[in-house]
Amino acid sequence: MKKLFKNLSFGRVLIYLFLTVGAITMVFPFYWMITGAFKSGTEIISFPPVWFPTSFALTNFVEAFERAPFLSYFINSVVAMVGSVSICSFTTIVGAFAFSKLDFPFKNVLLALLLGLMMVPFEMIVITNFRTIIDLGLYDNILALIVPFTSSIFYMYILKGFFDSIPNSLYQAARVDGCSNWKYLWKVMVPIAKPSLVTIILLNAIASWNSFLWPSLAILNKVNKTLPFGLYSFVNEGGSRTELMMAASTIVVLPMIILFLFARKQIVNGVARGGLKG
Amino acid sequence: MKVTIKNLTKRFSDMTAVNDFSAVIESGELIALLGPSGCGKSTMLNMISGILAPTEGKIFFDDEDVTDLSPEKRGVGLVFQNYALYPHMTVLENICFPLEIKKVPKEERIARAKEMAKLVHVDTMLDRKPGQMSGGQQQRVAIARALVKQPRILLLDEPLSNLDARLRIEMREEIRRIQQETGVTTIFVTHDQEEAMSISDHIVLMKDGFLQQYAKPQELYDEPANCFVADFLGNPPINKANGVIKNGKIVLEGDCEVELEAAKNIAEGREVTLSMRAEAIIVGEAEKACVGTVEEVYVMGKEVLAYVSLGTTKVRAYIDAEKTFDKGQTVNIGLKKRGVFVFDKETGERLA
Repeated sequence: MKKLFKNLSFGRVLIYLFLTVGAITMVFPFYWMITGAFKSGTEIISFPPVWFPTSFALTNFVEAFERAPFLSYFINSVVAMVGSVSICSFTTIVGAFAFSKLDFPFKNVLLALLLGLMMVPFEMIVITNFRTIIDLGLYDNILALIVPFTSSIFYMYILKGFFDSIPNSLYQAARVDGCSNWKYLWKVMVPIAKPSLVTIILLNAIASWNSFLWPSLAILNKVNKTLPFGLYSFVNEGGSRTELMMAASTIVVLPMIILFLFARKQIVNGVARGGLKG
Repeated sequence: MKVTIKNLTKRFSDMTAVNDFSAVIESGELIALLGPSGCGKSTMLNMISGILAPTEGKIFFDDEDVTDLSPEKRGVGLVFQNYALYPHMTVLENICFPLEIKKVPKEERIARAKEMAKLVHVDTMLDRKPGQMSGGQQQRVAIARALVKQPRILLLDEPLSNLDARLRIEMREEIRRIQQETGVTTIFVTHDQEEAMSISDHIVLMKDGFLQQYAKPQELYDEPANCFVADFLGNPPINKANGVIKNGKIVLEGDCEVELEAAKNIAEGREVTLSMRAEAIIVGEAEKACVGTVEEVYVMGKEVLAYVSLGTTKVRAYIDAEKTFDKGQTVNIGLKKRGVFVFDKETGERLA
């Protein structure tokens, strides 16, 4: 018995050691980026490296903001994200409901077709999307970052899976009470699916925030750039001021970290969904 | 409200779930739709509620033809086997929901919901979510939600089968009480004969989509219309022995001659099934119907059950605890009039 306990604790130590190494590997670049944003030009290139910055003055951030219009990058990113995520969430919810609970002709054929489209890589659609945007007269317009991302087959399919798991008797109970499809969707399905929805919105928001390829094609002018694209131009133009790059990178990443910290709580709360038997 | 069902048929692509079904359900009664699983009883219920459209036939609520009406226009309250409560709403919100859809003013709907909660005894847990309640309590909430809009008819689809045995007895009495207090015409689906027998005014017994018999519980037990009805009701299951009519007697397999008053009117040579309830067989009777051999005797508390072979068929019979029988003993068997039936072997049609 004692031996078993010993083995167990040894195994535990190994596991924790492994996890610690993994965690450090993941967190260290972030640590380096954030501390780097506070270091001076000499501190950041000195060897041996400076682990802690000597002051926490925001001079690097101020300078980064002066050298490039990060504020308008930030606003553009937020507008593109809020616009595409909110419209996409709506189409996702409505589409998932239709495919999960409604009956219409060629439903399964249509679903198979849509799923088939998911196999086409984004890089291939880029060209046709680009043509469409030009034809719509949206080139170098912030709307060009929203319009192509107003629906997502992948998220719709995930949400459909969750909707499928909600028992049909709920739907029938509501129908017998005279509840319309529309009302049932928003009053019953959406609140129940909240945990899934939060995850979908979060994934979508991160993808939108981080997207680089598409903005770099569809946007030309500095004032219309989003953060990742702006950061890229900044690095290209700004030369080798590493501490400024670190400050700019921190600005890009920070909102996502904050968003995740808030939403994480939501997800954990939402997972505990009771009352659905059978 | 009176429900009239006329020649109702429901065909799915490869099967007929309900076949030419007609019945009249009187106002204020509690009716059980009873039958083995897959007999079409839930399909029947869904057609009455309007969730399913019938292939043929008509349904009338009083004199109104509701066949083509959508569920919400029929004024039915529906309770599901899995309760179907909205998990994100509290008990009060759940009960209020049907009224909210009907746009009843907020104060009125809360008052009515609270009244209903009181009727089903969940008024102390209005702020709980369904996940924090037991199955029995959830079922009470589901009944309250179905009743709050004052439906013309209450439909319950296997309301008790998700509950454990003790709760089931408690809840079925509760359903009876609630039905009596509100006087609402109620139809409930069950596959449990005891449940149907204990609380319903009439039982509709179905098999393979066909109505077998529609009668009072005791009548169903005492006067089954066919072999299936006799088979389905009763515990222990009814004893069955196959035989042929010869000289006004039934000759069972293994050359056991049974004298039965009722058998005298049946045509010579007809193949029949003799069905006998365990309590209708009297072992060791002077006035004998036939002779049998005691195979086994089980004492089960107040009752003594004997296995007796009549010819090659073994039957169960309750015997008098005072009498003792040995294994292998040959005994006279008497048959009571009540609880002994003769059916056609092929069609199951009742002959006597």
